[in-house]
Amino acid sequence: MDEAALLSVRDLTVAFETRRGSFEAVRGVSFDVRAGKTLGVVGESGSGKSVTAMALMQLLPDSAQIMTGSVHFGGRDLCSLSERDMLKVRGREIAMVFQDPMASLNPILTVGHQLMEPLRLHMGLGKKEARARAEELLALVRIPSPAQIMRAYPHELSGGMRQRVMIAMALSCGPKLLIADEPTTALDVTTQAQILELLRDLQERLHMSVLLITHDLGVVAEFADEVMVMYAGQAVERSPVAALFDKPGHPYTEGLLRSMPPLEDEDPETLPAIEGNVASPFDLPSGCAFHPRCPYAWDDCRKQTPMLAPLGRDHDAACLRVPC
Amino acid sequence: MLIRADNLVKHYPILSGIFGRKVSGAVRAVDGVSFSIERGETLALVGESGCGKSTTGRLLTRLIEPTKGTVRFDNIEISELGPEALRAARRRMQLVFQDAGSSFNPRMTVASLIAEPMHLAGASAADCRARVQELLPLVGLAAEHAERYPHEFSGGQRQRIGIARALALRPDFVVCDEPVSALDVSVQAQVINLLTGLQREFGLTYLFISHDLRVVRHVADRVAVMYLGRIVEIADKTTLYKSPQHPYTKALLSAVPAHRPGAARTRTEVVGEVASARAVPPGCRYHTRCPYAMAVCRTEDPELFDLGGGHRSACHLVRITH
Repeated sequence: MDEAALLSVRDLTVAFETRRGSFEAVRGVSFDVRAGKTLGVVGESGSGKSVTAMALMQLLPDSAQIMTGSVHFGGRDLCSLSERDMLKVRGREIAMVFQDPMASLNPILTVGHQLMEPLRLHMGLGKKEARARAEELLALVRIPSPAQIMRAYPHELSGGMRQRVMIAMALSCGPKLLIADEPTTALDVTTQAQILELLRDLQERLHMSVLLITHDLGVVAEFADEVMVMYAGQAVERSPVAALFDKPGHPYTEGLLRSMPPLEDEDPETLPAIEGNVASPFDLPSGCAFHPRCPYAWDDCRKQTPMLAPLGRDHDAACLRVPC
Repeated sequence: MLIRADNLVKHYPILSGIFGRKVSGAVRAVDGVSFSIERGETLALVGESGCGKSTTGRLLTRLIEPTKGTVRFDNIEISELGPEALRAARRRMQLVFQDAGSSFNPRMTVASLIAEPMHLAGASAADCRARVQELLPLVGLAAEHAERYPHEFSGGQRQRIGIARALALRPDFVVCDEPVSALDVSVQAQVINLLTGLQREFGLTYLFISHDLRVVRHVADRVAVMYLGRIVEIADKTTLYKSPQHPYTKALLSAVPAHRPGAARTRTEVVGEVASARAVPPGCRYHTRCPYAMAVCRTEDPELFDLGGGHRSACHLVRITH
């Protein structure tokens, strides 16, 4: 295991049992999140990125099961912890922020009430101390008048404000790792820029690690140190962020980057699109799951499943074109 | 000129009192919007949620009645048409929505979904069938897809069905309301290419509503930026992206995440959040967030100021410094 890794996931496989049959949403995924760094996990709907996060937190629904793999965090394997021990990890050592803050906030309790609860439960603070700390947290996420917002109900706040409250809540117990699952997807661009800047600033000040889950390569370019690209439940590429954008190793990554319309450079008449549709987990293509959409695919791609192979320093891609 | 909007206004009353009988104010969703679109042109409306861009699209096609203002389509005053004439005019203006799937009846086959507008317009069953077979390959679907149901398709394919349906009556004008926002990144480019290809082939005129400034730069000829129910800046695409004048346009452009890590950029400081359309600030509606706001901005509502070459911007500072 990497010395500096705060979180180490090895060979994680998660299977779902549904009425249409069973399928594997995450297939043999391994990665590290280093102390104080951000790993961006990029993928489209159904790529397994959110399921990976839920598996780390041991928050999978009953229909899902971790088939293989380990999740090492601070010297323990989270997969082997009892629910009771996991409760101490969740919220206190690893916290989460989701896409839709309204779904995670209780509509009938004030922001203050919801912020103070974990402080009193997890940190054992008294009412007065908890209130003072809650106001501090709201100031930390740059909410203008904390005392006033403490008395507000979630529906009285804008989307950006709610997301700030969620971040304050996630930070309340000083987590070492923050899992942010599409934290800005529901927000407008100007608000998104503010929230990303806030997260970056907080990460530096609090020396947190961040696992950032997103479908947006632009967000990754702005925020992540390292990137893992997922397709159909597998990690198809892992790389430091600069190398991924400079020399994408997997045809899927390359396709994603090329299909993004430029904001400054010359604009092509036809966008270089990735053909076909996202693979269905119920009906995965044989061999490399990306081969039906891949412009470089040849016969072997239908038969062999490529493993991650090194392309450069800390840069791996799972493509037969990358020599092992 | 194919379509022109003149001073379009849509206010929704805010009802209060326990029976909701008192009108205590208005949500000014669209608050005086004027523009025109040439035949074969794409005008993009950009802005953040709640700025009135979708409402404007619906007002143009008179899916909702404007509080004030007129729409002129191919020399027909849309706002004055009776029900029968309006139906006839509407056949030439169609809409493509963000989530095509949710507007489909799940029990109808793809063929009947695509043919439905023709059927309603009184076309014969044989004509409908022939047109569906013509449309499927045009939008990149296979002939055998005709007898399947919407749930058997992916999001991108459903959007293709929605586009075929919009084109069934051979419209001149299509309002595309966030047509790719709900799609996976790898599929977005396909649907954008489809829309631009169809425009070239059939000379379609588009109003393209989107919050995505990258997509807009690719598809639009001209761009109008909306903020709280008003157009604050309008220009041809190259000018708007190269030399935006309104502080809000600058803020929007600088907030788009970079194309690659470490890209040099100047981030315009955006403070606060969009004000509410229920309580539009007096003066310039952007002054509450504008880093350059002056005294006049708090009291006087700026008009669109002509900068030449079709570039207009509603900002006191732009007017003074120009």
